[in-house]
Amino acid sequence: MFRKIATVCAAGALVFSLAACSPSSDTTAASGGTTEKGTIAVITVDLGNPYWQAEADTAKAAIEDLGYTSTVNAHNGDADKQNQLIDSAISTKVQAIILDPAGADESVAAVQKATDAGIPVFLVNAEISEQGIAKSQIVSNNAQGATIGAEAWVEAMGENGVYVELFGNPTDNNAQVRSDGYAAVISGYPGLTKVGQETANWDRAEGKTKMEGLLAAHPEITGVIAGNDEMALGAIEALTDAGKISTVKVLGFDGNADAVDAINAGTMVATVLQPIVTGTQEAVAQADSFIRTGETGVADEKQSIDCVLINKDNTADYTSPFVLG
Amino acid sequence: MSETTSTVARRRINLNGLLIEGRALIALVLIIIIFASLSPNYLGIDNLIIMTRHVAMNAILAIGMLMVILNGGIDLSVGSTVGLTGVVAGSLLEGLQIPFLDVFAYPAVWVVIVISLAVGMGIGYINGILIARLKVAPFIATLGMLYIARGIALLITNGTPFSRLRGEEALGNTGFLPFLKSSPLGLPMAVWVMVAFAIAFAIVLTKTPFGRWLYATGSNERAAELSGVPVKKVQTRIYLLAGLCAGAVGLLLTADLSSATPSGGEFFELNAIAAVVIGGAALSGGRGTIRGTLIGAFVIGFLVDGLVIVGVSQFWQQIIKGAVIIIAVALDQFQQTLQKRRAVKRVSADGKTSEPSRTAQSAPGEEKPLVDNSVDK
Repeated sequence: MFRKIATVCAAGALVFSLAACSPSSDTTAASGGTTEKGTIAVITVDLGNPYWQAEADTAKAAIEDLGYTSTVNAHNGDADKQNQLIDSAISTKVQAIILDPAGADESVAAVQKATDAGIPVFLVNAEISEQGIAKSQIVSNNAQGATIGAEAWVEAMGENGVYVELFGNPTDNNAQVRSDGYAAVISGYPGLTKVGQETANWDRAEGKTKMEGLLAAHPEITGVIAGNDEMALGAIEALTDAGKISTVKVLGFDGNADAVDAINAGTMVATVLQPIVTGTQEAVAQADSFIRTGETGVADEKQSIDCVLINKDNTADYTSPFVLG
Repeated sequence: MSETTSTVARRRINLNGLLIEGRALIALVLIIIIFASLSPNYLGIDNLIIMTRHVAMNAILAIGMLMVILNGGIDLSVGSTVGLTGVVAGSLLEGLQIPFLDVFAYPAVWVVIVISLAVGMGIGYINGILIARLKVAPFIATLGMLYIARGIALLITNGTPFSRLRGEEALGNTGFLPFLKSSPLGLPMAVWVMVAFAIAFAIVLTKTPFGRWLYATGSNERAAELSGVPVKKVQTRIYLLAGLCAGAVGLLLTADLSSATPSGGEFFELNAIAAVVIGGAALSGGRGTIRGTLIGAFVIGFLVDGLVIVGVSQFWQQIIKGAVIIIAVALDQFQQTLQKRRAVKRVSADGKTSEPSRTAQSAPGEEKPLVDNSVDK
């Protein structure tokens, strides 16, 4: 008898917790139903990562400010999932799609499909390898960002020393662009030697594990360059545990809130702020303009936004996640 | 009657276990020799401690997974449970807003730990109920829970990790990180937790009725039920224990990263299953030991870390890891077949000479249940 009651309670609790979770998404949909302007779909990469969470939040807020309804989904870097999300956006007849594409080549067909169905697509954060399909491609300038980051890091290193690199997800072209940008700057300084490189897939836990391995293999290192902040923060944890954080200079990329805290604490030299909030707001504004007038209001499809260096001189200006006031 | 069969069964498991562990142990020794000769830093004390800490997280999960696999089940949700319990701990440490009130609660560290472990056990309990009472296949029930637990973790964090885990003196919630990051007697807390879990679960498996029930239900659930084993109770409890292990790992991982991320623990379940299987457990249930599982976890951990230290490319690391898992299990199956064949031969030889029991002590104990098994099938 007790067992049965417990079973019912557990099942009930589960249902209740699921039900309790849903209102937040339901209310936005319901309130949107009353407006006449329709829906704009936002498709981002990974809602478990602060960077893409900021992108999604910004898009949602900007869309709802303009009086549209928004839906937010994530494809987790999977081109197939992206395809399905585009399909459902087409079948629900959204007004526009704000997309952070899953891969430059893989996403062309998906964007083409939406465009063919008469739905304008606006790309943010990453680009696709063809032009003339999407209405606009608003990309932060990763190469320029990597250059300014590497320059700040080289200066902190005193132009000398041995270092290792933590590389992002190898299927994401931004990983290679950033790595190349770092290498282009660092190759000008013969005093700097790279002794190791590991892939840590943009992830903090993996960044820590890989850093511990690299530290065991190369205890003499004095520098770490990472393709994003999460991996850099993992490396900082490993270096802190090993008691080496005071002698090793770490460079991040993205400008997330934890990275700025690390710069303030003196454990990270610098990070590069990707103006994702500005870029996303721009994309939504262009989508709105296109829906109303048939024009994005901007001359070029490809628009690149420069990244900004964050170091201990300007962390005070960092007002909210991914915004430098 | 049930007493004698179960002791006989246990003796067979111990014998098999010893042989299988021997093989996994040889693999481990090989891995250590190869990497030590390739990198002088591999066998450094610092590196050994770090590698053991990596092993410990997987080993704790694998111990929980072993319980489930002994029953012939599987728990795919432990990785997500790791993420969820870490996030629960993180949210409690940053301050929990009480619904409908503008008040934040800051529970003490021990309360945080107890609540987080309870959440892990709660997830496991729901799994157990679904599987034992509602007869949902373990693979499906825990696959569903994999998504649900990860989704709840994302909802709680809204995608942003909790990183202010140090607490404040004024609120009386300091000490989470210092406690879980501490290294009593030079060994990290994760290693101590692994040792504690291993000893506790080994005692449960070998010295308690619950352990005997678990092996019995895994070998032949129907027979166990008919001989009075509370099959459903056993099933519910093992998923609860797997959830407890996942909860412990969630806390350790959060302390390790000084941050609770909703993506913590992704794919951990697969490493745990691999450790259990390399350690000689059968996915069909009824066979496996804590010692074997620990060795399996060490094989995977020392291999993966060794590949990083030697500097093998990321893509090859995955291929090598996959190959080692397959080879280990293939060897295990080969050995099983050999043993079975040898036992059958001995039985038929016994039949001809009609000698009830020869001088060898192990032979009768080993062959009898094997014949029973083959008759069953």
